[in-house]
Amino acid sequence: MNKHIVSITEDQRDCYQEIANVAMGQAAALLAKLLEVKVILPIPVVNLIEVNELRMALSGIENSDKVSGVCQGFIGNKISGEALLIFNDASLSDIAKLLKYSNELDTSLDLELLMDVANILIGACLRGIGSQLDVNFSQGHPVVLGQHVNLSELISTNNYRWSKTLAIEINYKIEGYDINCDLLLLFAEDAIEVLNNKVNYLLED
Amino acid sequence: MAISVLICDDSGFARKQMARALPDNWDVEVSFACNGEEAIQAISEGKGEVVFLDLTMPVMDGIQTLTYIREHDLNAMVIVVSGDIQPEAQTQVSQLGALDFIQKPISKEKSAEVLKRFGLL
Repeated sequence: MNKHIVSITEDQRDCYQEIANVAMGQAAALLAKLLEVKVILPIPVVNLIEVNELRMALSGIENSDKVSGVCQGFIGNKISGEALLIFNDASLSDIAKLLKYSNELDTSLDLELLMDVANILIGACLRGIGSQLDVNFSQGHPVVLGQHVNLSELISTNNYRWSKTLAIEINYKIEGYDINCDLLLLFAEDAIEVLNNKVNYLLED
Repeated sequence: MAISVLICDDSGFARKQMARALPDNWDVEVSFACNGEEAIQAISEGKGEVVFLDLTMPVMDGIQTLTYIREHDLNAMVIVVSGDIQPEAQTQVSQLGALDFIQKPISKEKSAEVLKRFGLL
């Protein structure tokens, strides 16, 4: 393994943010159509962080909230990473209502909801990013990280082989509902250089 | 005389992408703004006869900017260029008087098509 220091410049960070902005808009449009709501779009947050600082990257979710989350690995053109989708539990009953599921939520239904929304949001975001960077991502199977747990429990269950990660956080909210979910795209440490090269190409005159 | 064109987006990369997507043979004077406040300043200085406006921006977003332009009857033809492609956003900007809505990422073909449609090219 070559051990040179990975970093991103301000221009590169801005470029990642704009790419994420376009991709999250495409994902949000799908979600808006599915739930027949208006999704409030944030400005995506892009940071190069230590994996053990992951908790801090999840700024959109309160520490006190009980949360449920799914993760899904992805890979394409030597760029690998993991997508995390985390909901505060208050969101789940509102989403169930919007999807016209029965009011009585049980754990298996929660899980189905979580998986449905994760597939839509993660898939659309990766397609959006992939089409701009000319990468074809394939997604692994979604894995439940935890249901109705504290955020710290949810994150600690996940073990990463990387020390650094390029993290893109997108915090979706839905107008008129108590729905708050955090989509976190974590790119593997050894993918960052490949990504930086792609972004440099876009930044060239 | 050259048309004054203003590109308003909080992302430097997006501003560059937009500038690159302008037609090659178009006689224009291009200025840039990073948010709605800067855009309104530029428009009142006559630098934005045609404005390419992003929606999601800090300080003053695209919707607020369109509202201001309308309320103060500023002289600007606004084309929204946004990643927010929800139908509601499109309806809202057209109600606020935007000429058109272009989905990001912008391309040379798309910008030329829209500009032709409104007789600006």
